[in-house]
Amino acid sequence: METGPIIYQWHFDPFILALAMCIVYLYYKIDGFRQQKDIFCFWTAISLFVLLEFSPLHFLGMHYYFSAHMLTHVVVLLICGPLLVISIPNKSPSPTPKNLQILSSLLYKHAWLGWFAGVGIMWFWHFPVVFDASFTAMNNHFSIIPLLHAASMLIAGMLFSWPLFGPFKNYHIHPLSGIVYLFTACTSCSLLGLLIAFAPLNTFHYYTNLSNSMNMGGLNPWGLSVKSDQQAAGLIMWVPCCFVYLTACIYLLQRWFRESGIQKNNQLVKLNTSLIEHD
Amino acid sequence: MKLILLPEPEEPIPSLSVSHNQGLLQWISSVDHKQIGIMYLWLSVIFLVAGGIEILLVRWQLAVPNNHFLNPEVFNQLFTMHGTTMIFFVAMPAIFGFNTYLVPLMIGANDMAYPRLNAFSFWMTFFGGFLLYFSFLAGGAPDAGWFNYAPLNEYNYSSSPGIDYYCSGLLLSGIGTVTASANFVVTILKYRVNSMSLKQMPLFVWMMLINSFLILAAFPSLNAALVMLLLDRQLHAHFFSAAGGGSAILWQHLFWLFGHPEVYIVILPIFGIFSEVFPVYSRKPIFGYAFIIGSGMAIALLAFGVWVHHMFATGLGNTVNNFFAASSMLIGIPTGVKIFNWLATMHGGAIRFKVSMMFAIAFLIEFTIGGLSGISAALVPIDWQLTDTYYVVAHIHYVFIGGTLFGLFSGLFYWFPKISGRMLDEKLGKWFFWLFVIGFNTCFLVQHALGAMGMARRVYSYPDLPGWGILNLISTVGGFIMAIAVGLLVYIIIKALKTGEKALRDPWDANTLEWTTSSPPELKNFDHVIPVNGARPFRDFKRPDDADWKKNGQQWKIN
Repeated sequence: METGPIIYQWHFDPFILALAMCIVYLYYKIDGFRQQKDIFCFWTAISLFVLLEFSPLHFLGMHYYFSAHMLTHVVVLLICGPLLVISIPNKSPSPTPKNLQILSSLLYKHAWLGWFAGVGIMWFWHFPVVFDASFTAMNNHFSIIPLLHAASMLIAGMLFSWPLFGPFKNYHIHPLSGIVYLFTACTSCSLLGLLIAFAPLNTFHYYTNLSNSMNMGGLNPWGLSVKSDQQAAGLIMWVPCCFVYLTACIYLLQRWFRESGIQKNNQLVKLNTSLIEHD
Repeated sequence: MKLILLPEPEEPIPSLSVSHNQGLLQWISSVDHKQIGIMYLWLSVIFLVAGGIEILLVRWQLAVPNNHFLNPEVFNQLFTMHGTTMIFFVAMPAIFGFNTYLVPLMIGANDMAYPRLNAFSFWMTFFGGFLLYFSFLAGGAPDAGWFNYAPLNEYNYSSSPGIDYYCSGLLLSGIGTVTASANFVVTILKYRVNSMSLKQMPLFVWMMLINSFLILAAFPSLNAALVMLLLDRQLHAHFFSAAGGGSAILWQHLFWLFGHPEVYIVILPIFGIFSEVFPVYSRKPIFGYAFIIGSGMAIALLAFGVWVHHMFATGLGNTVNNFFAASSMLIGIPTGVKIFNWLATMHGGAIRFKVSMMFAIAFLIEFTIGGLSGISAALVPIDWQLTDTYYVVAHIHYVFIGGTLFGLFSGLFYWFPKISGRMLDEKLGKWFFWLFVIGFNTCFLVQHALGAMGMARRVYSYPDLPGWGILNLISTVGGFIMAIAVGLLVYIIIKALKTGEKALRDPWDANTLEWTTSSPPELKNFDHVIPVNGARPFRDFKRPDDADWKKNGQQWKIN
C-alpha cells in the first residue's frame, strides 16, 4: 500500500461529521440554544470524538493495527460517552429534558440496561465474525458501517455512564451500587481483553491478512508484529481500562463520603426522636 | 441513657447452650458463629503445626550442602504440602475464624445471616484439609508445588494420587470459602444494627465486605481449574495437556487469576485488623477512614489486572510483560496509602506497647520490606534474573508472614480476652514477639542474598558454593527459632486458658461494639446495642462529652 507519512493521513467522513453536528444541535437544543455555562466537557468530548474518527489513529486502526483500533474504541466508549453525559444541563424550560428525565428514570430503575449497553457493545463488535464482516464493509465506499460503529460506541458509552453521572442527581444509582456496576463491567472487559490478548493469531482474519500483506512488502509503520499488535489491543482493553473504571470508582466513593454529612445529620435526628431517650 | 432495643430475629436461631452436656457433639453440631469461629481458629492452629513441622524438615535438609536427610520425592511432597497448608488451611481458616467470630459482634448482630451455611462452610474447609492430608496415607502427597503447575500436575508426570487429593481437598475448601463469603456479604449488608450506616461500620468489617466480593470473583477460577485438572487426570481430558491439544499455560492463567487476588484475600482482612488495633493502642481515631476503604476497593479492583506478573518468565512476550510490569508497580500505591494512614494514626498518639501493637508496628516494617522486594520483582529484567530463586521465597514470606501472620498474631493478642474471657500473659507475649521477629528475619532476610546469588528454590540439595552453606544454616537456625516461638505461643494460650487472669469486658478501652458484650460473650450476643453515631460507638458511649460526632461539628442535643 502506497501512503505518505502517517501523520498526514487525515480522512474526512461526512456521516461521522453529520453525527457530531447532530449531537451539537441536540446539546444546545436541550437548553433552548442559550449560552451554556459549562461547555468544557461537551466540547472536549466532541473534539476527541471527531479527532479520533478523522485522525491518523483511525487510519492506523483501519489499515494496520488492531491496537490503534482498540484505542479508538476505548476512548470513545469510556471517555467521550461519559463526558457527554456529564455535560448535559439539567435545568431547562424546553420539553427535551422531559425525555431526558424519562430516560434517566428508565436507566435508574433498570441500570442493567446501561451496563449491558456498555459491556455488550464491546463484546458485540469483537466477535470474530462480526469483527471481520464490519471491517470488510467499512472499506466499501459510502458504507454506513463506520457511522454505525462509531455511533454505537458513543451511545453505548453514554448509556453506560448515565445511571452514574446522568443530569439528574436523584436518578443516580447509589454510589456503592455504582462501584459494583463498574467492578463487574471492569471484570467483563478484562475477560474480553484477555481473550483477545491470548487468542490464536488467526482469530481476527482482517489484521492477519493485513499483516501478511505487510510482510509481502506492504508498509508496517511501527514495525509491530501481528502477535504483539493483537496482544497490545487486548491489553489496552484489559489494563488501562481497569484504571479508568477504578478512577470512576474512587470518584463515586468520594461522592458518597461527601454526601455523608447530610445523611448523618438526618439519621441522628431520626435516632434522637424515635429511639434514644436520656435520663 | 436508654439503649436501643435490638430487634429479635423473626425465626429463632437454633438452640445452643455452651453449658450443654453433649461435649464434643455440641461443638460438632454447632451453628453459633462464635463456636464456628473458634473451630476455624483451632483448625488453623492444627495445620500451622503440621505445616510448620513440614518446613522444619525441609530446612533441616537444606541446613548444609549436599545433604541426604530427605530424598527428593519426600522433599517435593513436604514443600508442596507446606505451601498449600499455610495458604489454604492456616491463613484462610484463621482469617475466617476471626471474621466469623467478630463480624456479627462488630455490627450488633446475634449471628450470621445463614447459620447453617456458616457451619457448612467450616466443615467443608475442615474436610478439605483432612482430605488433603489423607494423601500421605493414600500413596503420596501432592508434589508439584503449591501452585501445582501443568504439565507437572498431569498424570504422566505425577502418577501418585497426591494431585487428585490436592484437587479434591482444595475444591472442598474452595466451596466452603465461597459460601462463607456469600454469607458475610448478606450478614454485613442486611444484619447491621439499624443505627449503623455503612459509613460508621468498623474498618475490619469493611475490609471483610470488600474481601468477600474479591473471593466471590476469584475463587471460581481456581475451582474450575481444579475440576478441569481432575477431568484431565481421571477421565483423560486434555485441558492442560499440549500433546492432546490443550494448553499447559492455561493452568497458570486460571491459577493466577485466582492466585494473585488470593494474595489480597489474605491481606485485606489483616488490614482490617490493623485498622482496629492502631487506633485503640494509639488512643486516636483512625487517620483517613475513607482512604482506607477507598484503597481497599482499589486493591480489590486492581487485583484482577496484575496476575500475569507471576508469569513473566513463561514467554508471553514483551508487550504483555510491559503492561503488567506497569500495572504491578501501580498496585503498590493503594497499599502505600494504607501504610501512611496507620503511621499518621500513630503520630501524636499515646501509644501503648502491648504485644498486639508491637506486632502491628513490626508489620509496618516487615510488610514494607516484602512490598519493596515485590516492586523490584515487578521489573521484568529483575524478575527474569530472580524468578524461581530464594529471592522470591523471601518475598512471599515477608508478605505472608510479615503481613498476614503478624496481623493474625496482632488480632489474636487483641481479641483473645474477648474470645476466651482470659488475658494472655503480656510478659511471655513479649518474649514470643521478639523470638518470632528475630527468628523470622534470621530465616528469611538472608534468603534475599541466597536468591541473588542464584540459589534455585525447590531443589532438595545444593552444591557447596561460596556462601551458600552458611547462609542456609543461618536460615535454618532462624526457622527453628520461629518454631520455638510458636511452641511458646501454644504454651501461652494453654496457660491463659487454664490459669490466665480473667478478662474484663473492655480490657483495652476499645472502640467497637464487640467490647460492649461480656468476655466471652453470652450465647446470644446482644440484648441491647448501644447507639451508633460514628465509627467508634463504644468510645462515644463511654465518653459522651468527648464523642466523635460532637467534634465533627454535629452538635446533637440529647433530651
